[in-house]
Amino acid sequence: MTKYILKRLGQGLLTVFLTVSTVFILIRLAPGDPAVSYAGPLATTEQLAKVREQFGLDRPLLEQYWIFLQQLFTGNLGTSYSFQAPAMQVVAERMPYTLTLATASILLTAVVAIPLGVWMARRPDTNRELGVNVLTIAGQSMPDFWTGIMLLTGFAVLIPLFPASGFATWGGLVLPTVTIATLQIALISRMVRREMTSNFAAPYLTVARSRGVGSPALTWRYAMGNSAIPVFTALGTRFAAMLNGVVVVEVVFAWPGVGSLIVRALETRDYPLIQATVLLTALLAVAVQLVIDLAYPLLDPRVRLGKAAAA
Amino acid sequence: MSLSDTATPAASAAQPPRTPSASAVTKELVAKAGATRRRNAAKWKLRIGAVCTLIVIIPILLAQVLPLPDANHQDLSARRLAPLVDGHLFGTDQLGRDLLSRVLHGGQVSLTIGILAVVVSGAIGIILGAAAGYFGGWVDTVVSRVLEAQMSLPLLMMLLLVVALFGPSIPVITFVIAIAQWPEVARLTRSMVLVEREKPYVSAARILGLHRIQILIQHIIPNVIKQATLVVLLLLAQAVLLESALSFLGAGPQRPFATWGRIISDGQDYITTSWWMVTLPGLVIVLMVVGVNLLGDGLRDRPRRKKKGA
Amino acid sequence: MTVLPQGSEISRRRLLQFGAAAGFLLGTGSLAGCAGPTGLPGPSTLTLALNRSLVSLDNKLNQFDAAVTVQRAVRQGLTAIGPETKPILVLADRFEMTSPTAWTVRLREGVRYSDGTPVAIEDIATALKMYQQVQGSFVAGFFPEFPTVVPVDDRTFRMESKNPIPILDSLMSMILISPAAKNKPEELQEGVGTGPYVVTKFNRGAGTYSLKRNENYWGPAPKVDNVEVRFLPEESSRVIALRSGEVDVIDSITPDSREQLAGLPGVVLAEASSLRLNQIFYNFRKPSSHPLSDVRVREALSWAVDGEALVKDVLVDSVSEAEGVVPSSLTGFSKTGNYTYDPEKAKATLKSLGVTDLNLKIIWETGEFASDTSVMEALVEMFGNIGVKTQLQQFEPGGNILAWRQGKQGDWDLLGNGFSSPTGLAITMMQGMYAGTAEKEKTRDTYQGYVVPEVQAKIQAASSEVDPVRREQLLATAQKAIWDTWPCAWAFVPKSVLAHQKRVAGLSLAPTNSYPLVDVRLEA
Repeated sequence: MTKYILKRLGQGLLTVFLTVSTVFILIRLAPGDPAVSYAGPLATTEQLAKVREQFGLDRPLLEQYWIFLQQLFTGNLGTSYSFQAPAMQVVAERMPYTLTLATASILLTAVVAIPLGVWMARRPDTNRELGVNVLTIAGQSMPDFWTGIMLLTGFAVLIPLFPASGFATWGGLVLPTVTIATLQIALISRMVRREMTSNFAAPYLTVARSRGVGSPALTWRYAMGNSAIPVFTALGTRFAAMLNGVVVVEVVFAWPGVGSLIVRALETRDYPLIQATVLLTALLAVAVQLVIDLAYPLLDPRVRLGKAAAA
Repeated sequence: MSLSDTATPAASAAQPPRTPSASAVTKELVAKAGATRRRNAAKWKLRIGAVCTLIVIIPILLAQVLPLPDANHQDLSARRLAPLVDGHLFGTDQLGRDLLSRVLHGGQVSLTIGILAVVVSGAIGIILGAAAGYFGGWVDTVVSRVLEAQMSLPLLMMLLLVVALFGPSIPVITFVIAIAQWPEVARLTRSMVLVEREKPYVSAARILGLHRIQILIQHIIPNVIKQATLVVLLLLAQAVLLESALSFLGAGPQRPFATWGRIISDGQDYITTSWWMVTLPGLVIVLMVVGVNLLGDGLRDRPRRKKKGA
Repeated sequence: MTVLPQGSEISRRRLLQFGAAAGFLLGTGSLAGCAGPTGLPGPSTLTLALNRSLVSLDNKLNQFDAAVTVQRAVRQGLTAIGPETKPILVLADRFEMTSPTAWTVRLREGVRYSDGTPVAIEDIATALKMYQQVQGSFVAGFFPEFPTVVPVDDRTFRMESKNPIPILDSLMSMILISPAAKNKPEELQEGVGTGPYVVTKFNRGAGTYSLKRNENYWGPAPKVDNVEVRFLPEESSRVIALRSGEVDVIDSITPDSREQLAGLPGVVLAEASSLRLNQIFYNFRKPSSHPLSDVRVREALSWAVDGEALVKDVLVDSVSEAEGVVPSSLTGFSKTGNYTYDPEKAKATLKSLGVTDLNLKIIWETGEFASDTSVMEALVEMFGNIGVKTQLQQFEPGGNILAWRQGKQGDWDLLGNGFSSPTGLAITMMQGMYAGTAEKEKTRDTYQGYVVPEVQAKIQAASSEVDPVRREQLLATAQKAIWDTWPCAWAFVPKSVLAHQKRVAGLSLAPTNSYPLVDVRLEA
């Protein structure tokens, strides 16, 4: 068990390391100069050179990378150019907002999608189910920025029920959450339906039914029990993906999270900030993945960690 | 073809006189059976999907032929006309350009990118997935690790970076979307090949002395390609969405190419006064993507054609 | 993957318990890291939504229009740019040129920082030093040289320089004064100032600041108790936030938003002229054989631009066409001519000059000015009407437009660009754009390659002239000389526009696109 956790942890850290290294190279290869964003359009070539020197951007790429590696191990990724503060701190100030949005979205998704998926699985291919099925397809077909703008227009402008932007009150959480959840509910409920339908068709359920087990117990204890792992995994993976920034939704709703931060950091070529954001979100995502893996045996006692490598 | 498929069992059930009530299975029971319902649902999905897709795709293909104003023709005196005013079915935009024409021409760009991206990602995915599944060993390890790593990457951000890196042009955006999508195809192909390679025909081919690559290309891939292409159809829907998200964030192909995402993000500033500039292009995207998704779903759920006379 | 354990009974209840436990684990883990809402401001709080993130309340590195309002509410300079774009006295009560190379300044009696300590001459000397030392300074570029501070008595001092700086009173408006001991050659994140407000809370990451009335303020007490500063980058979000009453003031709004907000009950629009000139500037690095090197071609191309339609239809009267080479609101402006629209004449002239098959590339960076893409797309059409083909290349912020502008990456013909003069002086803008020399061109530090020695000499003469009347004349001749070189196909001056709730009163928007926060009131 411990060995397994250590192995997973090592793999996770390796992924994070490769990710931040890729980003390190990509942003330095990309055109655009942080010094220009920093010193403004009026700066002279000489001033720009000084700024580059101050940021250490005049050094050879390998040396910059070496410095970056040292920073990585001390957890201090340098000073954000545009915020003039430790990059990690700037990201840490933003992270809670993204976490809030992601948590709210995943909770709403779970609460709606699981019952909906079960409902669909219990009456597959009836007219009503077909209608709902098409609706979920529509849900996964809407561009999230468009859904966001539509909700914004509808419920913040035409009928001003909720604030349109920012997070001044809990009401501000509603529209972005619904926007994200629309897509996630569609995906997860379809997944639940798929899992449940195959479980309903499984022999053990027929046996249970013939033993006279009641319908609610069949659905929730038997079929759902066996669908728990894939559903939980899907929810967890979605959650982890959201931590990487729900970029578009944050931009539409001016949500003060890491998604909108990264767009800005890219615009100003704020290297330390980009690296810090990627590092922190990748770490969190890996941690969530690990928790999901560790939760498997809790969900299904047949699972033994460490012997599951063949999966 | 799906119609004839589904019509057969119904027709046979509708001829009870020939088998004088030997079976307790009545017409009603057949109609209520899960398999029938499933077939019907698939049929309806295919129909609705085809209608939705065609409603969007046919005008896009015919955009040059249809009697529409030029997508880039501006008329500053006819700015932001509401839909149906002065013969503009979708109204006009902030420069007095016909919105319908822009949506259709933009659709050509968006669809081209989507289709190209799917072809590329399909090719990469099938080749790498098949190689990983068939050869196993280090090939499998490398491919699987890359797949895993890509899962934990901040995808949209990486795409924005790559677009910034190579400049926003149609080939770059196509490539970027393909990179984002190949894992799905690869994973599916790999798992299918894993099953196929244990089948007797593969051993037979091996015993016949065929080269491993030849077995893979000539015998295994043709057996999995049909299912893999089904996923590719669903990926087309995703590609169109991804392209519009990139354009929305400013990483679309250079102007004057209108793309769906760009039209929406341009219209966003006018949302309180000119609703149509965001709503209508968005509806077109939704209609098209719903259509493609339904087609993909319907094709997957459709009962496999029985091999007759085999 | 599943390994069946021997003889172990699978209890569903236990499974569900564990499932719940795992969910709980994940749930609490993430909930602990969540943030609550930032809170709704009370009725006595003024909420401003800025279009750019206010990274600090200092301006050593950067200063964008909207920030000035907030910066000056916390820190102040010896002078400020007043409503007429002329310097007015703030921390000084005397600021006079007493000899060509020396200004005599006296600090206002009884001025104290928010912590109660008095402002000392040393603070001014230190501030100048810090602005000079910081790398990539926004302010330093405007100073031909930094003056030295020579104390005369405990409130009076002289600012001396080697060469005359006749515009020092305007320049000093950009130097914000902080206590010497706490000043550093970097953007100050905290610390005290002399302004009417003090910072109580800030989150740089999110760009939010909470300000509270400064009880020790030396001037008339501010009327609003608290000010909340928020950062809303998207124009549409800011408009919606204002409409729904979430924020009280939004600034720097685009023509389109202005149109949406005009006539809404409860929303008041305020506008002022601005210190900015947006131009469609020619590339002056073309070889002499290129048509654009011919001033007649440049003039002819300008006739293709229907300025009136652009102003009226595309920019919805939110700008005015330029009537010279700098905005008319700047001190020292002189009218030099108008842009005319005559596509027939343009076509004929180009033909007579033998310019056919002209193919132009227009480049610009997204957001360089309001409605930029619409203007560019309209230009394509207008040039098309005189038979000139154009190609657009748009750069996203952070991209490498600078390398393009400097001619290091690719060739272009026209650039959409804005230039502003935060000093409120025409000479600042003329020096920045038209005083290029062959020396500067070596490092590509001229404005799009504009090097015209006669013009440069005239600007140089005007900038060092101490006599105000004479300077005015020199400025006018220099501006005429620039105009005659036809540097732009078109240019316009955007208006500064802000919108606020009706309950906000006493807000007087200046051409600097800022307003004194101390005068703003909130009405019931």
